[in-house]
Amino acid sequence: MMDETGKRKQRTLQLVVALMLFVAAIYAVTFIKLPVWLPALQ
Amino acid sequence: MTEAIAAIAHDQHEHPPAGIMRWLTTTNHKDLGILYMSFGGIMFFIGGAFIMAVRAELLLPGLQWLSPGMYNQLFTLHALIMVFGAIMPFATGLNNYLIPLMIGAPDMALPRVNNWGFWILPFAAVLLLTPFFLQFFGTGSGASGLGWVMHNTSLDLQSGIGIDFAIFTIHLLGISSLTGAINVVVTVLNMRAPGMALMKMPLFVWAWLITAFMLILVIPVFSAAATMLLTDRHFGTHFFDAANGGDPILLQHLIWFFGHPEVYIVLLPAWGLIPHILATFSRKPVFGYRAQVYALWAICFLSFIVWSHHMLTSGLPLAAEVYFMYSTMAISVPTSVLVFCWLGAIWRGAMTFETPMLFALGFVAHFGMGALTGMILPDVAVNAQYHNSYVIVSHFHYTFFGGGIFGMMAAVYYWLPKFTGHMFDEKLGRLHFWLTVIFFNMTFIPQWFAGLDGMPRHIADFALRFSAMNLISSVGAFLLGLSQLLLVYIVVRCVRGGPQATGQVWEGAQGLEFTLPSPPPYHTFETPPAVK
Repeated sequence: MMDETGKRKQRTLQLVVALMLFVAAIYAVTFIKLPVWLPALQ
Repeated sequence: MTEAIAAIAHDQHEHPPAGIMRWLTTTNHKDLGILYMSFGGIMFFIGGAFIMAVRAELLLPGLQWLSPGMYNQLFTLHALIMVFGAIMPFATGLNNYLIPLMIGAPDMALPRVNNWGFWILPFAAVLLLTPFFLQFFGTGSGASGLGWVMHNTSLDLQSGIGIDFAIFTIHLLGISSLTGAINVVVTVLNMRAPGMALMKMPLFVWAWLITAFMLILVIPVFSAAATMLLTDRHFGTHFFDAANGGDPILLQHLIWFFGHPEVYIVLLPAWGLIPHILATFSRKPVFGYRAQVYALWAICFLSFIVWSHHMLTSGLPLAAEVYFMYSTMAISVPTSVLVFCWLGAIWRGAMTFETPMLFALGFVAHFGMGALTGMILPDVAVNAQYHNSYVIVSHFHYTFFGGGIFGMMAAVYYWLPKFTGHMFDEKLGRLHFWLTVIFFNMTFIPQWFAGLDGMPRHIADFALRFSAMNLISSVGAFLLGLSQLLLVYIVVRCVRGGPQATGQVWEGAQGLEFTLPSPPPYHTFETPPAVK
């Protein structure tokens, strides 16, 4: 059984990894898709 | 022997290491908060010095002592430094120091990342300023002169190393901001004391949680846009190159998709701390807590769908212009909720007017003027008239200075006794407030009228009919800059000594940080406090 400190460390790690993947995804979408989507507004 | 080791361990645990190594290696949230705030303060004066040179040029019509290229560099550096070097790091310093104290956590969730995030900043600042100073030694063509959003189409022929240095600076600042934002999200969601439910958190913590989400969403877009600009300049891509099938307007879209939320990234921390200050000096609880939380989230959402109101003269189709006009005006609804909650906080309160309260009320008044002028500008017909005029310069200084910097100064005076353990000189604080109010308005009201009369921005010279307004504005700017030296004197004097501050500091102050002594111990809340 994991104690409360261990659970908190695990949640911290999961949250950090999820947020970093989110950042990487937005960076990639900006390169790949926004040059296609945004000019369509014009 | 064991007792001696335990004593040493205890000593190291309770007291920070001495000397420069403390500040280089610290992972303590209070130390890093002080470092961030000190850095923000220093950059505030460097950015201010650059704009003094600009206002000296604009004192009289005709070119006085700056070339147009140098003028462009100076206002660009002023803007980049004030937004990314002064206000954002200062607000990050406040969150570092205060969030763990406010939610009953022993530190930020990622202390080493916190240290790394701060120490990126001085290198980024050096990188930004290097090309500016190199030009005086005959190397390079100076710093970037493209304006803070780097898409000034009238200037986009600038070449040289300045823009490349600015691009790398943006990447470094982006890494620093993202580490800070991820740290805030993880700390707030994962480190709260038992009983500190989300809807019990102070509004400052809520505001920073929302700010952190905004940073995580827009900084990658800004960084990617800067990378695309870099590859266009040096690696043969054509994202923004119309001659080779690219789209220059795409750069404006990308930059403003970041740039408009960035306005709220600068303002939200101030919006979060002002309700606490107004409530304290009105001897009342925070007014409309839930309404303010929901309003902050609504502003966060709306800030992502209004970016093209900065581009209404770029040739958007009419339907897009109308959409961006109405969506921008819709932001006034949650913003009005905030303003009425601030007014509700002081309504029939037992108000006293200590320096933090004066700056908080100054914030409400001046930000209110910035917000009202912002209501006019998204109107498509009006925007066509005033785009790229001094009306815009006046408007965004009422929001950034009147909102952001008045808010930060209110915070300085409110929490300074908590940080230092000493009370500051109240008379000097009030004098600083009134000098700031008078000279701030003396600087920016004339710019509003010069803009209404048609004076364009980003140009080193002006027509003779704008002379009187520019003379008043320049004198006001010099005096505004000088009066900020009083703040330095007050802060330094308070750090060095003064009457002892109590833990409560202010009679009406509420919150976990005010349950601690002033200054708080080096380590706090290692045993989580009980929150009712």
